[in-house]
Amino acid sequence: MRSRVLFGIFIMALLAFSFTVTLTNLFMRDITRVAASLSLTTLSFSGLLMVLFIGTNLISKDIDKRTIYMVISRPISRTEYVVGKFIGLCLLIILAVLFLGCISSIPVYISGMTYDNPLAGFKWGVYFAAIIMIAMKLMLVASLIMFFSAITSTSFISLILTVATYIVGSTIEVAKGLMDVKMEGVEISPFMGALIQAVYFVFPNLSLFDLKIQAVHGIALSAGYLFWICIYWLFYTGIMITGGALIMERREFP
Amino acid sequence: MAIIEIRSVSKTFKKEFSGRKVEALRALDLFISEGEVFGFLGPNGAGKSTTIKLLLNFIRPSSGSIMIEGKDPSDKNVRRSIGYLPENPYFYDHLSAEELLRFGGGSCNLDDAVIRERSSTLLQDLDLVDARKRPLRSYSKGMVQRAGIALALIHDPKILILDEPMSGLDPMGRKKVFDLILRLKANGKTVFFSSHILNDIERLCDRAAILINGSLRRLINVNADLKNGATLEDEFFEEVKKSGGLRE
Repeated sequence: MRSRVLFGIFIMALLAFSFTVTLTNLFMRDITRVAASLSLTTLSFSGLLMVLFIGTNLISKDIDKRTIYMVISRPISRTEYVVGKFIGLCLLIILAVLFLGCISSIPVYISGMTYDNPLAGFKWGVYFAAIIMIAMKLMLVASLIMFFSAITSTSFISLILTVATYIVGSTIEVAKGLMDVKMEGVEISPFMGALIQAVYFVFPNLSLFDLKIQAVHGIALSAGYLFWICIYWLFYTGIMITGGALIMERREFP
Repeated sequence: MAIIEIRSVSKTFKKEFSGRKVEALRALDLFISEGEVFGFLGPNGAGKSTTIKLLLNFIRPSSGSIMIEGKDPSDKNVRRSIGYLPENPYFYDHLSAEELLRFGGGSCNLDDAVIRERSSTLLQDLDLVDARKRPLRSYSKGMVQRAGIALALIHDPKILILDEPMSGLDPMGRKKVFDLILRLKANGKTVFFSSHILNDIERLCDRAAILINGSLRRLINVNADLKNGATLEDEFFEEVKKSGGLRE
């Protein structure tokens, strides 16, 4: 916990979890569902803040402050450098999500136990699957940061590019869905259609990793669905890390 | 056979916004033998640090070739034989000197026991034993410089590339580094170092190169060429004068 940013984000998340219990008391029904939704949102948001603030500084700060010389003057290839940074960030994400994820289940449990049999229909397995998916989404965002850090020279630009990609990636599924539903009187130009299609294929579809609805309503997840999400995650993360490593291999550090 | 071969290397940088090209090195030829202590001299902006960055593969030549122990510097294994001290060492300042050396040794796959033993000797030699557990951010400039030298030496490399190793050191620190380079020389290490302190180069080096405006102006064999009271300082200023001063 050398990083004050990390400490601040943890405190913010813990306060939000405690606030969840109070807030759910304002609802008359579906208390567990509200608590689960709030807890998962808090976990996802604080995890995102952590990845953005810690991740964008990892490589860019090394280049800004020239600490990269200390690393690449050793028998370490640029690819190993990028992969090493990514693995380090992934370990931090896993630990943080594990810690915050366990804590997030406390308000859900307390809210559930407040009333008679309120946990009926709620599936802890799906809730924890949603937490794992949040961790996977954050690791995918980490791979985006590695890629953007390799192509830019300042942490601010890589932060902006990552946030923009995150927003597009989280909303593109909705845009594509709206386009696919043919509504009477609504005409989508061929150019706009092609653009949405292109963005859909190029940008990461982060909404795939959002299992909040399934967790809140206790909807069982099929193994096949989870398997394909994992394949998608591997594919996209692999491309980002490979791309970042290739760019770093070619890059000069005058 | 030369352990470091720099053949006709030129390096041109393109300015980020104006796109203007700046020629930092012009057709540099240098061949450094094993066990040689080689001094690299030149005014600021002469291309000394550029040459060193080329040797470490931080940047790549625009033309020409570089070989270290017969291998291209882009081969990461070449750097197992190299210990490098940057001009202004920047480290992760939350690390202590001990942690820094553990990282240095670990990156070269040294055993923990070897790292512990070498760290202890180097920290002793460089007068950092008492500060070994303190974060580097609390070090003075001279102490950071000495920690950087320890990092360069932790894996017992064959070649030392030191960019201004004496800069920021007090007289005691300079003496320590001076003695260390002498000891490295006695142990048959190849030392390539740049410095503005002409007297140090004269006393330590077998040969010295004078680089001005990116071009090699003169190669001096310190023992053979500096006779009859001639000093490296005289030679250096003469070359600067002959070159017509410094390029803007």
